[in-house]
Amino acid sequence: MTTRPAVACHGLGVDSRVRVIGRRVAVVLVVVAQLALVARGYRSDHKEFGFQMFPESSTWSAEVVRVTAGGARVPVSEPWFGYRWDELVTSRGLAHPSARHHADAGLDNQVAFLAAALDYVAAHTPRDRETRYLEATVTTWHNTDGPEVTVLRSRERGAALDRGPA
Amino acid sequence: MTATSVALPSTTPLGRVDELLGRRVSMRALALLRIFAGAVALMHLWPFVADARAGVIYRDAFYEPYAAWYPELPRSLYGGLLALGVVAAVAMSLGLLTRVATAATFGVVAYNLFLSTTHFHSNRAYLVIVLAALAIVPCGRELSVDAWLRARRGLPALDPRSPAWPLWLLRFEASVVYGASGLSKLVDGDWFGGTVTWHRMVQVRDRIEASPLPSWAVSLLLDRSFHTYAAKVIVLTELFIAVGLWWRATRYAAVWVAVVFHIAIQLSAAVEVFSFLSIAALVIWAVPATRDRVVVFDAADPGQRRLAGAVESLDWLARFRLAEGGRGSPLTLTDRDGTVSTGRAATVRVLSRLPLTAWFALPLLLLPASRPVPARTG
Repeated sequence: MTTRPAVACHGLGVDSRVRVIGRRVAVVLVVVAQLALVARGYRSDHKEFGFQMFPESSTWSAEVVRVTAGGARVPVSEPWFGYRWDELVTSRGLAHPSARHHADAGLDNQVAFLAAALDYVAAHTPRDRETRYLEATVTTWHNTDGPEVTVLRSRERGAALDRGPA
Repeated sequence: MTATSVALPSTTPLGRVDELLGRRVSMRALALLRIFAGAVALMHLWPFVADARAGVIYRDAFYEPYAAWYPELPRSLYGGLLALGVVAAVAMSLGLLTRVATAATFGVVAYNLFLSTTHFHSNRAYLVIVLAALAIVPCGRELSVDAWLRARRGLPALDPRSPAWPLWLLRFEASVVYGASGLSKLVDGDWFGGTVTWHRMVQVRDRIEASPLPSWAVSLLLDRSFHTYAAKVIVLTELFIAVGLWWRATRYAAVWVAVVFHIAIQLSAAVEVFSFLSIAALVIWAVPATRDRVVVFDAADPGQRRLAGAVESLDWLARFRLAEGGRGSPLTLTDRDGTVSTGRAATVRVLSRLPLTAWFALPLLLLPASRPVPARTG
């Protein structure tokens, strides 16, 4: 004869032990994961599920250039090999980096996106056999603070250059 | 001997937690939220669909995958997936094949969100959370085509109750959205001190001055000292909503404030679907029990008949039972705790519990004439 414990739920039914433990696990997992993501939001660039909305009034602008194998620094505002920066990079306020913009999700977020955009453009312009890397001289104003300048550089485009002139 | 259950309340803390999580409660609020969330998901997906129809998808310009292993579909399949998301969102709202449609809407919106870091916005994260919660509960047993078809076939209605834990989790998540946002501003000296809001106003001074706002309002918005106080009000508002929603005594105030807060955000910032979703999600804070208030009305009285009609058509959370009373009797509301209100007090209390009229009627509850009489029914 065996008697298994039954878990009553306010008289509305009995749940199996597996269900009861499964619920506990699901609830604890979600709560802990969400709180961890909120905490992570204080040090991550994109703050996924961190819910830090309208964090700063900070602004930024950037001079983005292509640095060629010959050492020339060519602004990306000039089309090159049939490419245009504002067609390659259309989102997150990055289409016109030379204008001063509000960093609507914070400076860390904005600068991280710009760094990723440089890598994206470096990797997605196969007709360009001239550019070694892209470089952005980024000026940031954290809220009402004075300007700070950071230089970002894309990955080297060695393979594209090795293929020689188009 | 077979296992038997005795429905005694548990005495251990863990037992009480288990009871709370497993308690079968009405899913009416989630059925209502499902209707709104389907529309919000549609609003969210539509710009992606419009771009895809114009031949442009996310990877035609800068995007940044979260992980190299994350599957990316061929162009035509991606377009098809978005179309599936749109169809599923519509079906979800209608409550047609609800379980499948809600799961599909969640799947498409979540897949699309995690395709690129550039897709990520807090309002979309909240949408994914809401859709996830809706996908795991049986929220199609009411307010749905499924329920209508079932009734039409002469089948008995399915139990609209379900274990409460997804509802509690969704409440936790909704609270976190406000709490995390408020906390991040509270610990930021620039935010709490008013620098961020003032500086932002200064940056858009041209737009403010060109707006239809009166000059005194423009001056106020650009006044540094005003923001010293305004920022604190904003931060404390977010924290109040996060905490106030949990307690019955403050819940209605928190809901009222939240609606004002979201309308203000909608008017002053580009937040995609955030305001619509957040206001819709406030329904989850309704007590998950249905038909536990009784409205007795005199059908011969035009005013009472109108109110009964309003209850019939606007009681989306199914909070009231309507009963015809004697000729010449006043409108009477018996609340779930037995509190009785009559006449104008009953009218205000009824309107304060209907989703569409609650925001207007809730402040009237503060008037002495709107308070219920102390008498209680048995």
